[in-house]
Amino acid sequence: MKSSTICREWLNSLPPTQGCLEKEQSLGRELLSKHGMPSNKDEAWRLCNFNRLNSFFSLPIINKSEDVKSKFPNKDKDSERIIINPNRNQFLNINLPNGIEKLNDKEIEENLGKIIKSTKVKNDLSVCLNQASSAKLLALKVKSSFNKSLEIVIPSIKENSISTRVFLIVEEGAKLDLLQVFLGNNNSAQNHLIEIKLESKGELTHGLISLGEEKESSSICTVAVEQSKNSQYSLHSIHHGWDYARFEPRIIQSEGEASTTIKNLQVTKSKEQIATHSLIRFEGPNGKLDQLQKAVASEYSHCIFNGSIEVPQIAQKTEAAQLSRNLLLSKHARIDAKPELEIVADDVRCTHGATVSQLQDEELFYLLSRGIDNEHANSLLLKGYYDEVISYLPKSSKKWNFVKNLMNDIK
Amino acid sequence: MTQTNTVEEIVAQPYKYGFTTEIETEKIPKGLNEDVIRLISAKKNEPDFLLKFRLRAYEQWLKMKEPDWSGLTYSKVDYQDLVYYAAPKQDIKKKSLDEVDPKLLETFEKLGIPLSEQKRLSNVAVDAVFDSVSIATTYKEKLAEHGVIFCSISEAIIERPDLIEKYMGTVVPINDNFFAALNSAVFSDGSFVFIPKGVECPMELSSYFRINSGDTGQFERTLIIAEESASVSYLEGCTAPMFDTNTLHAAVVELVTLDDASIKYSTVQNWYAGNEKGVGGIYNFVTKRGECRGKRSKISWSQVETGSAVTWKYPSCLLQGDSSIGEFYSIALTNNFQKADTGTKMIHIGKNTKSKIVSKGISAGQSKNSYRGLVSISPNAEGARNYSQCDSMLIGDKASANTYPYIQSKQPQSNIEHEASTCRISEDQLFYLQSRGIDFEESVSMLISGFCSDVFNELPMEFASEADKLLALKLEGSVG
Amino acid sequence: MIQSTSETILSIKDLHASVEDQEILHGVNLLVKEGEIHAIMGRNGSGKSTLSKVIAGHPSYKVLSGSIQFKGINILELAPEERARIGIFLGFQYPVEIPGVSNLEFLRVATNSRRKELLQSELDTFEFEDLVKERMKIVEMDPAFLERSVNEGFSGGEKKRNEILQMALLEPFISILDETDSGLDIDALRIVASGINKLAQPSSATILITHYQRLLDEITPDFVHIMADGKIIKTGNKELAIDLEKSGYDFIDNNKKDKEMVN
Repeated sequence: MKSSTICREWLNSLPPTQGCLEKEQSLGRELLSKHGMPSNKDEAWRLCNFNRLNSFFSLPIINKSEDVKSKFPNKDKDSERIIINPNRNQFLNINLPNGIEKLNDKEIEENLGKIIKSTKVKNDLSVCLNQASSAKLLALKVKSSFNKSLEIVIPSIKENSISTRVFLIVEEGAKLDLLQVFLGNNNSAQNHLIEIKLESKGELTHGLISLGEEKESSSICTVAVEQSKNSQYSLHSIHHGWDYARFEPRIIQSEGEASTTIKNLQVTKSKEQIATHSLIRFEGPNGKLDQLQKAVASEYSHCIFNGSIEVPQIAQKTEAAQLSRNLLLSKHARIDAKPELEIVADDVRCTHGATVSQLQDEELFYLLSRGIDNEHANSLLLKGYYDEVISYLPKSSKKWNFVKNLMNDIK
Repeated sequence: MTQTNTVEEIVAQPYKYGFTTEIETEKIPKGLNEDVIRLISAKKNEPDFLLKFRLRAYEQWLKMKEPDWSGLTYSKVDYQDLVYYAAPKQDIKKKSLDEVDPKLLETFEKLGIPLSEQKRLSNVAVDAVFDSVSIATTYKEKLAEHGVIFCSISEAIIERPDLIEKYMGTVVPINDNFFAALNSAVFSDGSFVFIPKGVECPMELSSYFRINSGDTGQFERTLIIAEESASVSYLEGCTAPMFDTNTLHAAVVELVTLDDASIKYSTVQNWYAGNEKGVGGIYNFVTKRGECRGKRSKISWSQVETGSAVTWKYPSCLLQGDSSIGEFYSIALTNNFQKADTGTKMIHIGKNTKSKIVSKGISAGQSKNSYRGLVSISPNAEGARNYSQCDSMLIGDKASANTYPYIQSKQPQSNIEHEASTCRISEDQLFYLQSRGIDFEESVSMLISGFCSDVFNELPMEFASEADKLLALKLEGSVG
Repeated sequence: MIQSTSETILSIKDLHASVEDQEILHGVNLLVKEGEIHAIMGRNGSGKSTLSKVIAGHPSYKVLSGSIQFKGINILELAPEERARIGIFLGFQYPVEIPGVSNLEFLRVATNSRRKELLQSELDTFEFEDLVKERMKIVEMDPAFLERSVNEGFSGGEKKRNEILQMALLEPFISILDETDSGLDIDALRIVASGINKLAQPSSATILITHYQRLLDEITPDFVHIMADGKIIKTGNKELAIDLEKSGYDFIDNNKKDKEMVN
């Protein structure tokens, strides 16, 4: 089917624009009908598996309010959990803890959509797709008095497509430990858009575990973060088990003077494709970035990384380091890594590196020579490889049991 | 900062080679169509297969679009407003240097390339190309004794059509890209090198390209073939006068190495870069590619790029033969409004192929200097290895340095490593040198040479100092 | 060696200087004559290194008021390279590594710029190699270090020897050696110290900046100055250094208290 036909059909299948996101919906739909669905003519989507993407669009957008009946691990004592059920008022069953408040209409009006605009990329299709289809919004602010951690769990629904939108303000001096969990389901699709505003001296540790784990599950997720002065943002994420997944973290240090850490792991097997397209832009001096991107591709799978760093003239004394490390474990798998650094400021320290290899023979041999069998040795080394990202996730993430799945995947 | 300003002043030195030679030239009328191509081919008495080659390329070119993908903007070229053939008026088939117009010899002497028998370099054979034609090739006879053919490509087309037909267009196909197609249709002259089996070329070979006319497109074509176990080191140099219009230079270079052969190809490019306001200068849109067809063969590109208003250039290696080696060493210096988008492609096809990339970019003024590279490992390239290192240095806060290293791997038994950094001249290093009595200009130039030393070490001995001088010229003015 | 008729090499008067808009030197006075060896001691942050950088002309340091005269010439307007050429030498505490720049080439260019100033002929590559190899013996340095990049991959001791080698080549009138003893083992310290002693001339002077006595066991100073809070607060002979070693820097604090009481 032609991309324009898919686009038209998909747009026609959406419910009429309405609710608090009405404006956003019109915006997204307008842009999509103008540009069409992503195609290989869009540089940022060139390597995308379009068959998978098209099946993403063939699933109906869930229209009615539905309660998801799934079993989730118990939450920690000192943690609050919000489960996002599609098309449901998300605040229905939740008692917001002290220090977290709903944003009022005025605050939403003033802030929503601003961050995705300032972190916009050319033909921003992932965002348009979400804008066009998201009907409900979870909008919260975290005050400096909040001292627990927060979980946001987003399950998906069999044979359906869901689209969610979250907006979060971390107020001046507030600290938040956030764990976000996306769960796939048989033949399901999900599209998430998360906007986060970190006010000055705000600190956000953002764990994100994105687990497909079921047949034909797919996900598109954009995280857009704006950091004010002296804020700290750490994103630790893993992506696993998706037939097709696309992850777009975008961070803008709007005044510089902030610190950003990203540790991202993506693991693919069978014919899966997972792509990460990151963008970090410094719009003021003295910004810091430490970015580690890891990928493991086995069997017939494909891992993609595209990492942009922009350091304009105003961003003097920026220190940015990006490292992309990739393991290619099979002859039929494929890895594409494309760092993109654009630097105009002269007083900066920017480094980046990329490697593609298999598990190191010497390390393997060392373990074998100590009597460990091949399978164990491999999994020990892989575990070590994963740990550079996993060890940064909050403890509570262990309950979600993904480490076992990660290890089972690859033999 | 005042120190930065001074560094910028040092970098902005006038272009030394901007003079024009007053010489009567024969030009064909402006514009491009099938008749023009037939005319060029007829002027050069080309065999029928080559005319067909040109016409096929022209047909392809008409269907192609001018690329705009790299984000570099430049005022578009009007292809109907260019002259596609210009030659100094004289009998092209000159037999000896005595018959060459003394003005031309003088021009090359002024450029530091003496051609006459008394003055010429003792260990380097030179092919001097002026606008569209090769005017002289030195040491031809001596090279012939070893079976080495070194001549203009026009001569080779007449004398060795067999080799031309066999190799031309096999590394860079006529429809490879917009500018390669254009070149294939209208190429005027260039150099041809053939090193037969087992021969190590007894001297350095060098081509020197000089653009003289302002409205002439420069489309030279170079083909170098090294048969089994043969080796050669080749250097090209380029300069052009200052015009306030932009001149198009769209060359194609093809290299072929068979088993155990090696080619080292070095470029010192100093085309006119335009003035400090960005007016004028050469558009340098060049396709350079080498094919390591044979096992254990090696192709090594080194380049020092200081000129041109806009440069698009990605000297690449197709590593087909098992255990073949590709190398790319590059220094690109941009200033004022220059834009350089350069890098390499290393395509690993054969088993145990190896490649190494070292790129040093220096951007000053409001220039834009980008490294763009591709390392691709095909499923059969078991044991392939690549190492890349790309460093950028920024001078002043209006210049930009971009790095786009693209990595693609489909073979687990392979290894790719890439490292990159961006910095500026360190104040501490500068102060250290100054505090030992070395003046500011020389300290800056020492630090920049130091930054580039990994690449200088790869240039042929005879030219390393020349390249250092060229950088020095752009950087220092009085020194060098 | 000290004679009353000796010529003044360095004269610093009421020097105030700042770095990054923070005043570090609050009025330093110092007089150094031919043939003299001075030691400046003091805690970290007392302004010793700042003083040396200001004399050498580091662009990050600003002179707010006061004067520095070298052989009667005001040097404050001179670029760092001009100061070096007229014979002011700073031995760095942390010599910077300069990858890619050949040590031999660097030493040659530096030596020739000083020779030019002294109206001596410039040395070509061969002449210079002879000279540098001879001078390397003073600091027991292996000629292999000439082939390497400036200070790159040198150990702490090797870097300091390379500094003294530069001093030997440039033959300055005044050498300011900033913590030349730090990070050296006892053997390296002896080699460096004996190098400094060998290079001492009746017509030149040395300022040793250190916070330990041990370098002064090897090189006997004529004057010892103690710096605190950006000023020289006490001047004496080598006995002062020995006292300091015994009682530590506490007496500075006492000294300060006394002062405050007086005020």
